[in-house]
Amino acid sequence: MLTLQSTTKRYGSLTALDGVTLTIEDGDFFGLLGPNGAGKSTLMSLVAGLRAADSGSLALDGTPLGPQTRKARETIGLVPQALALYSDLTALQNLRIFGQLHGLRGRELSSRIEEALDMAQLTERRHAPVSTFSGGMQRRLNLVAALLHRPRLLLCDEPTVGVDPQSRNAIFEHLLKLNRAGTTIIYSTHYMEEAERLCSRIGIIDHGRILALDTLDGLLTRLPFEDEISFPSNDSTAAILERLAPNGVLIRDGDTHRFRPHANYPLSAFFSLTEAAGLSPRIFVTHRPSLENLFLHLTGRTLRE
Amino acid sequence: MRNLLVLFRKDFLNFWRDRAAVIITFLVPMVLIYIFGFVFGLNKTGDAGPTGIDLAVVNLSSDPGALDLVNALKAEKTFHVITTTHDPHGQPRPLTEADVRAALHNNAYRFALIIPRDLIPDEGFGIHLKFLSNPRNEVETQTVNGVLQKTIFSNVPTLLGRSLQKSARRFVGGPRLEAFNRHLADSIADTFGGDRNRIFHNIEAGGFGIATDEPKPHDPALRTLDPASTPGTPSPDAKKATSAVGDAFTRIIHIETEQVAGKDVKNPMAARLVGGYAIMFLLFAASGSSTSLFDEKKAGLFQRLLSGPVTRGQILGAKFLFGVVLGLLQLVVLFVAGHLMYDLGLWQHLIPLLVVSLCAAAACSAFGMLIAAVSPTQGAAQGLTTFLVLTMSAIGGAWFPVSFMPAFIQKISHLTVVYWSVEGFTDVLWAGQSLGDILPTLGALAAISAIIMAVALWRFNRGRIFD
Repeated sequence: MLTLQSTTKRYGSLTALDGVTLTIEDGDFFGLLGPNGAGKSTLMSLVAGLRAADSGSLALDGTPLGPQTRKARETIGLVPQALALYSDLTALQNLRIFGQLHGLRGRELSSRIEEALDMAQLTERRHAPVSTFSGGMQRRLNLVAALLHRPRLLLCDEPTVGVDPQSRNAIFEHLLKLNRAGTTIIYSTHYMEEAERLCSRIGIIDHGRILALDTLDGLLTRLPFEDEISFPSNDSTAAILERLAPNGVLIRDGDTHRFRPHANYPLSAFFSLTEAAGLSPRIFVTHRPSLENLFLHLTGRTLRE
Repeated sequence: MRNLLVLFRKDFLNFWRDRAAVIITFLVPMVLIYIFGFVFGLNKTGDAGPTGIDLAVVNLSSDPGALDLVNALKAEKTFHVITTTHDPHGQPRPLTEADVRAALHNNAYRFALIIPRDLIPDEGFGIHLKFLSNPRNEVETQTVNGVLQKTIFSNVPTLLGRSLQKSARRFVGGPRLEAFNRHLADSIADTFGGDRNRIFHNIEAGGFGIATDEPKPHDPALRTLDPASTPGTPSPDAKKATSAVGDAFTRIIHIETEQVAGKDVKNPMAARLVGGYAIMFLLFAASGSSTSLFDEKKAGLFQRLLSGPVTRGQILGAKFLFGVVLGLLQLVVLFVAGHLMYDLGLWQHLIPLLVVSLCAAAACSAFGMLIAAVSPTQGAAQGLTTFLVLTMSAIGGAWFPVSFMPAFIQKISHLTVVYWSVEGFTDVLWAGQSLGDILPTLGALAAISAIIMAVALWRFNRGRIFD
């Protein structure tokens, strides 16, 4: 179990992490969602022991974490945001170096390397220099290099930056498999889709503070609406606006109307109304509320800002 | 046109933000111009040239002119004249020829002048001196030779006059020479003024008529033989005449030279040249390997390594070790190449040379680590490297003798890796010294390595390497 208690980290006058208190249970797939500069990487670097907190505490299973606590860090693996690989060396050489640094030797090292190469789908390219790999291949190798020592806690700091969809899916599958096998994962991202797809619990972070922390469903219940229906703004749809208004919130967004029905107004009632007005159901698009909506609701900004 | 100006301004903005570019563009050439200017006598103060080179002088002559010569050498800024040593009881005593020969062998100093008993020989005409040297640095030796001759010619002409008087006395007899000197003194006094008796005694003592302490005549015309020239400034004709006299002096002043150490070295210049340039490129290579730390930092490798069981000290230590091994390999290759090209006599000195190379490689690698540890960016590290390597090579004796530098730079040079490395290589290849003999040099290199590496580690452990 990883615990952070009132953890603060400053860089000069900038407070990157502001009194964060957080508990991550064993086996969690914990998503840390926030825009760039929110404090995600700082939190990761504190847990990884790269930096020391200015105040507060961090502990893994009760053992304090920090730059001086090497023993505790042996059970942690870090997948850095950057491609932390020796690009002039081959995939095999890279994995051998990182494995040896974790104390692996002989057959055990060889079998872990084979396993890692297989997982990264790089067995055939094991003797090729990393610099000749595509971005996706490098990302996959970057991930498996952190798994050689079979960490109990895996820190993934935006591990899919610049990755093609195919490689991204492969990485997701590996991570979900690892999590199912018992590895606790902390996954930082500013892509809400990734957090929604992967994470069992999500913390929304901004300006160094955790704004919300819950399961995906739990977080979404904090929104004042459940669904949103968008439809074009034209003469034919103008007729239903007056009758919709008492049952929800109507927002005009350019050539589109967005309707957020009140909780007691069922979608069936909405579609009965539109059918009676002679409107085709195909012009209506129903959206489930997302973390993007929640972030906007909490901060007044979008995740990309 | 507007676009051109915008882009032009952009280049200046980029340039000023790049500290390395600014250092390389302005500071490095300025420092090198100053050093080269000093070496080649271009500075405004006119006090350029070598200073404070130790010169042992053994004066065996009872001739008063010998003492004048010693004093003239003492007055020459090029030399630091040593005339005494200490006996076992710590009491000072005059140097002997045996003393200076031993000291030359040990490189305690590299030049000695013996003023023999027969400074002015009874037979023949001219003066006789003996010059002993340990020419570890040929350029320095040639320069010292030149300055020594100039000092003798320009400051001690009376020695020659005394020799002339002695020869004349031998050929024409004492009374006739005295009469001649008397007539000459009268003629000089009539023409230029002055006291006849003082002029006569001056001629007898080997002078050329007017003593240096003679009061100047009141009539300026009498002081100015060439009306076109200003007092104290020789005319071109006078300079030509002086030069001719100098040539004549060269023929009649006999300086017996003897090389005391390094006689067996087949190619003495190459020993220093190869060592000097090898160490300069070793420094560049060491700094290059250290700046790869910046690449690893940029690639995020520090994060991966330090989040695992690796410490900052291990990262720097491994890089240092790599620098030492690569540096040793580089030096071995360069010395073997130097040996093949210039016959350095490598195999006779293999073990001491390897040990010096190891110590030099360690010092250079530590230097590279320090650069990496104190530089905020890779660009800054590259600029600092260029500046320090070229400066250290210039003042450390890789390009020309340290004695050619101003006194304060000579002192600073002793703090450089280049100085001690070049000394070590020369000790081994030139002087053929054993491991025991070069222990002080090895100690200096080891101390420099330890101090530099300690500072580098301290800085690297506390630096903000993730920013």
